[in-house]
Amino acid sequence: MTVGLILLAGVSALVLFGVAQRVLDRMHLTDRAALLIAALIFLGGLLPDIRVGQVSVNLGGAAVPLGVCVWLLVKTDTRQEVVRALWGSALTAVIVFLTGRLMPAEPEQMTIDPQYLYGLAGGAVAYLLGRSRRAAFICGVLGVILADIAVAVINWQNGIETTLRLGTAGAMDTVVISGLLAVLLSELVGELLERAARANGREPSPTVETPFRKGGSRS
Amino acid sequence: MKKLISVLFISLLLLPFAALAQEDETEDVYRLLDPLGETVTFFCGTPEPGDEYISGDNRHFRVVQIDPAAKAARMEDLGSFALPDVAWAAETALPVSAVRRAVALYCTHSDESYEPTDGKSSIEKRGGIYDVAESLKASLEKQGVIVYYSDENHYPHDAGAYRRSRATAASLAEEGVDAIFDIHRDGIPDASQYESTVDGEDVTKVRLLVGRSNQNADANKQFAAQIKAVADKVYPGLVKDIYVGKGTYNQDLMSQAVLLEFGTHKSDKNEVLASTALMADVLNRTLYGGVTGAAGGGKTSAPKNSGGVSGIAWVIGLLVVGALVYAFAATGDRRLAFDQFKRTFREMTGGLLGGRKDGEEE
Repeated sequence: MTVGLILLAGVSALVLFGVAQRVLDRMHLTDRAALLIAALIFLGGLLPDIRVGQVSVNLGGAAVPLGVCVWLLVKTDTRQEVVRALWGSALTAVIVFLTGRLMPAEPEQMTIDPQYLYGLAGGAVAYLLGRSRRAAFICGVLGVILADIAVAVINWQNGIETTLRLGTAGAMDTVVISGLLAVLLSELVGELLERAARANGREPSPTVETPFRKGGSRS
Repeated sequence: MKKLISVLFISLLLLPFAALAQEDETEDVYRLLDPLGETVTFFCGTPEPGDEYISGDNRHFRVVQIDPAAKAARMEDLGSFALPDVAWAAETALPVSAVRRAVALYCTHSDESYEPTDGKSSIEKRGGIYDVAESLKASLEKQGVIVYYSDENHYPHDAGAYRRSRATAASLAEEGVDAIFDIHRDGIPDASQYESTVDGEDVTKVRLLVGRSNQNADANKQFAAQIKAVADKVYPGLVKDIYVGKGTYNQDLMSQAVLLEFGTHKSDKNEVLASTALMADVLNRTLYGGVTGAAGGGKTSAPKNSGGVSGIAWVIGLLVVGALVYAFAATGDRRLAFDQFKRTFREMTGGLLGGRKDGEEE
């Protein structure tokens, strides 16, 4: 492999790491915590998968993002928000599952690469249900994991030998990409709405139009 | 504004259902037409404007217009495609380099099979495509190449297949392989399109498929061109062509990743298996060719892949555009957006880039 190709791999990883750190930083985590979690996702992704029977789990690609989801749910202010995030995850999982079944199978026929569509769906669901960055991350991560579990269970029921692989592509796994994209989408929409509110001469409501601001009543 | 964003969101949620209308097109076979309207080849799926095609005789085309009713795609002629010089490829001395040689193989579409010999074109539990992958593996191993092979099943054959095989591909890439190959068969119904005779033996041709929607697109396209150049030199008629299509095909995971289509579902699998031995030799020579081992001091005359530079530009360009869009959405003002853009880069690079505004709070 040439130096250029090695540099390309390095730059791609660094950019993803940087984006991951910035996204995590926007979920009420301290800079240091965001950096630590991004590092755990990347380093954990390089460790061997943990395999139990027909289930294979990667630390960085699934266990760490799942841990972040649990932490975010525990830290959520109200039970209502927890319920919304979980409903959002279930809804995202349905969308991910249906996307897989209904979209054309070949990438060249797909309007959007499903890998990115899942994150966008997670962000959209989270916004509609709770207008929250935290919920967006949870929906993006849990949505993909739940959909993968559903596909594996259906395969097992049909006697098809398959391994349920959760996050085994490490930092490059759809679980991670989906979680990050969901937050980025909700962040972008939050900024747009906030600006729209300002343009209308109204002070953005902290509970609706400014749901994504650090220190706001919603996260 | 809020209404517009809500409509956009709802549209996004409905995308999977909108895509249902396209499902019937899964088995569509398009004719790819040259500027004179002559059929150059067939493509299973719907081509997209911007897709590129390099024919067996190295004519370079780009898809410019699709006619769904006629199942035809009009292409512009970009002239002759210059394959890399691989004069060394015909050397009889096989590489005996002490350098570790390792590649990876897997099958995203686990059900793909060959009707004449497997009985069906799709076998959900284990398609005939695994026999092809295993035959390629055995041939590569005979040549001293370490093969990391996954027979993981990624069924069903739907839009989620590449998501599931992504985990497989990434795990294989972590083994430190030099290249990764996703083994498929085509879905065009005319087997004669893939029939060939090489060195007096009936074999099926192999189409190389490269995704153009990722940072490794240029590198992978060059890699595919190297494979074709070597095949044309050593086994003319083995490599059918190269298609550069919309999509990622998990090739964003590695800069030497190519999807190989061995024949079509109407091909005789025995002829497909015969082509794997030749293809193994081609892949070995492409990746490690020209190496004369200790005598050559480990030097290789294999062509260098310079796709890394454009890939880096692709990644950084995407990052910059994304950050600018976000900054403008957040501020609505060009100057403020640029300040926010600089702040973002300063934060991402720990202060190395983006400078620091006097008196700005951390």
